[in-house]
Amino acid sequence: MIPIKYTYRNLFERRGVAFMTLASIGFVVLVYIGVLALAGGLRAAFADTGDPSVVIVMRDGTRAEMESSYAQESHRLLTTMPGVERTADGAVMASGETVTIQIFNRVDGTETNVMVRGVEPGAFGIRPGFEITEGRVFEPGRGEIIVGRSLAGRLGLRVGDERELGRNTFRVVGLFTGVGAHGSEIWGDYRDLGDSFRRSGYYSSTRLQAASPAAARDLIETVKADQRLQVQALTEPEYYELQSETSSGQFIILGNVLAVLMAIGACFAAANTMYAQVAARAREIGTLRALGFKRRSIMGSFFLEAVLLGVVAGGFGALLSLPLNAIQTGTMNQVTFSEITFQLRTTPFALFSGIFLATVTGVLGGLLPAFGASRQKITDLLREA
Amino acid sequence: MIKLIRRNLLRNKRRTFLTMASLAMALFILSLLGVVNDAMNFADESAIPDRLVVRNAISLTFPLPEAYEQRLRTIDNVVAVTPQNWFQGVYKDQRPENFFPRFTIDPETFRSVFYDLEWTEEEWEAFAEQRTAFAAGRELTEIQGWSLGDTITIKGDIFPIDVELQLRAIYDFDEPGQERQIFFHRRYVEEAMGNPGQNGTYWLLLDDPAAAPAVIAAAEAMFENSDNQVRAETAEAFAASFTEMLGNIQFFFSMIGLAIVISIFLITANTMAMAARERTTEVSVLRTLGFRRNQVLGMVIGESLAVGVLGSALGLGFTAVAIQGATPFLEQMGFGFGGFALDSQVLVTAVVIGIAVGLLSGVFPAVAAARLKIVDGLRRL
Repeated sequence: MIPIKYTYRNLFERRGVAFMTLASIGFVVLVYIGVLALAGGLRAAFADTGDPSVVIVMRDGTRAEMESSYAQESHRLLTTMPGVERTADGAVMASGETVTIQIFNRVDGTETNVMVRGVEPGAFGIRPGFEITEGRVFEPGRGEIIVGRSLAGRLGLRVGDERELGRNTFRVVGLFTGVGAHGSEIWGDYRDLGDSFRRSGYYSSTRLQAASPAAARDLIETVKADQRLQVQALTEPEYYELQSETSSGQFIILGNVLAVLMAIGACFAAANTMYAQVAARAREIGTLRALGFKRRSIMGSFFLEAVLLGVVAGGFGALLSLPLNAIQTGTMNQVTFSEITFQLRTTPFALFSGIFLATVTGVLGGLLPAFGASRQKITDLLREA
Repeated sequence: MIKLIRRNLLRNKRRTFLTMASLAMALFILSLLGVVNDAMNFADESAIPDRLVVRNAISLTFPLPEAYEQRLRTIDNVVAVTPQNWFQGVYKDQRPENFFPRFTIDPETFRSVFYDLEWTEEEWEAFAEQRTAFAAGRELTEIQGWSLGDTITIKGDIFPIDVELQLRAIYDFDEPGQERQIFFHRRYVEEAMGNPGQNGTYWLLLDDPAAAPAVIAAAEAMFENSDNQVRAETAEAFAASFTEMLGNIQFFFSMIGLAIVISIFLITANTMAMAARERTTEVSVLRTLGFRRNQVLGMVIGESLAVGVLGSALGLGFTAVAIQGATPFLEQMGFGFGGFALDSQVLVTAVVIGIAVGLLSGVFPAVAAARLKIVDGLRRL
């Protein structure tokens, strides 16, 4: 066996060439992790939303809340269903909500659709994560709204600002967080917003709190079995799953396609470097062989060198990608066609995938040159010098 | 000289091939990204600036009353007005390949505004006469395998009704993306919904594109004090607003492209440096034989330039071929509808980058080779 020291000392000895190769593979890793972080962040924005014990009811055949609409009677009927939880003081844990979309301008002047949600007092009870980070909650009847904190940043809205929503003017009285994808929405009182958008008396969705995920399944069956209702029911995570998949799926595919293509390119680069290493070290290899090292050891040593190069490059790329983490951005939710804000997430999985990709690049790029190094005849090697 | 460059390129075929291949791969990815980015850009560059879109000022989810159509027609410079409504709905299932835009229109006025779709008169008549008829773009009929007379069902979502439609007309359009939609009668949906008398958008044709700002102002002022205020804009601005909604995604694409360019630059520069170093002695011999520094410089740069040009050609050729095969795949991923084409802008950018990488990566080794003192070079044996 050739000592491992020989391997890494070699890389260090020829650090100029090794660094160039390392950097080029590192950039490949950076791109891959970047796209995964984009997809991961989008996913996380939806994954943090919704509780498997909460059932969301919409009009039959609709994919998104803003497409759905049904009259108050259906909503009232839903809140009386068996299996809907009650608070300690006996109030039904349910929230009828109306969801509309309004055009807003982002800080950079571009245009986007923003989801505006009219909620009833019950909305907060079924979303225990809800938290006001600045200001206070709106008071019904006073034309007040609260804005998701990340969305407020994208739109440049501050507490105290006034905006027209539908026909009336509303004042921002608070910013909120802790409710996942709802952080990309504007919330106000159900009646205030219903009146302003002329949607009074109609609901887009009704959320019902069940005791447990299993109880939620039973509740869904009860709702579906009711002949008086033309609605569909699903748990909140099921509802957001579709939006998550539709919106992030293409980035995951894109990331993988890019990664494979770029990795092939990087393999060529790694092979090139290793071939050059082998050629430059002909005399050395010959000497090692003359000293009695086996062909297999020579091959192993060069192979190890390539793998090491890959791993270090992967680590380098991962390091480069770290500043991407937590960058706040937003895109279009491809189901609701409205703004969804999220943070890039360089998850451990993404980092690991990146390093793995680089390692594979090193392995594939190093295989042939290492084999080539071991096949040469001692006499040729020594003579070449 | 040229002969020397060629010989040098061929003397380590493996290295030349590997370098060119990685450069080609990078340009392939780069141009593919450009193509996808273009397709995500909804803005219709061919849009004729003589059409305006009027919609509810709140957002597209809010309709406008039917009566607005007549009133919009009274504005100066407006030649024709026609309604167009996004029906959405579901055809077969939620899979992206079964998603295509579905609009309801008014056949009486449709062609006066959308004059650039091409129809045969009989087919158009058949479509206009039958309330349950639909018209589809040629490309879509080919993808879906529809022929005239076929019946399809669209399950409503925004509109809580299912519509059964019969294909009566197929239209042609020179922008490929525009052939991927269907049109059917708005009357059909109106009646099924109990005649709410609403429309999503009105499209206006102007007799003079220069009048657009005035017409926009007039349309917005006309409904300023009504229950449904409107927003008017050119068709191009309307399309661009959809691209804007995608937000920073295109910016990320550019960043990816930049990382790729840096990466290939490093790869090629690395190889050229290796190639030049290997030849230190040789360069000195050439110099002793009377070659001048400039000639040595040119030789090394010429070599890397050749790698750049050939690699670019290879990569772009690959893209041109791959787009044909990749189009269905890209559509499935949901990157826009059709319109995947290697346009001249992407092409030129990629070629420039390829050549620039080739040139720049040759400069350092070339200068080093040219600067080398003959004695040093020969001593290095």
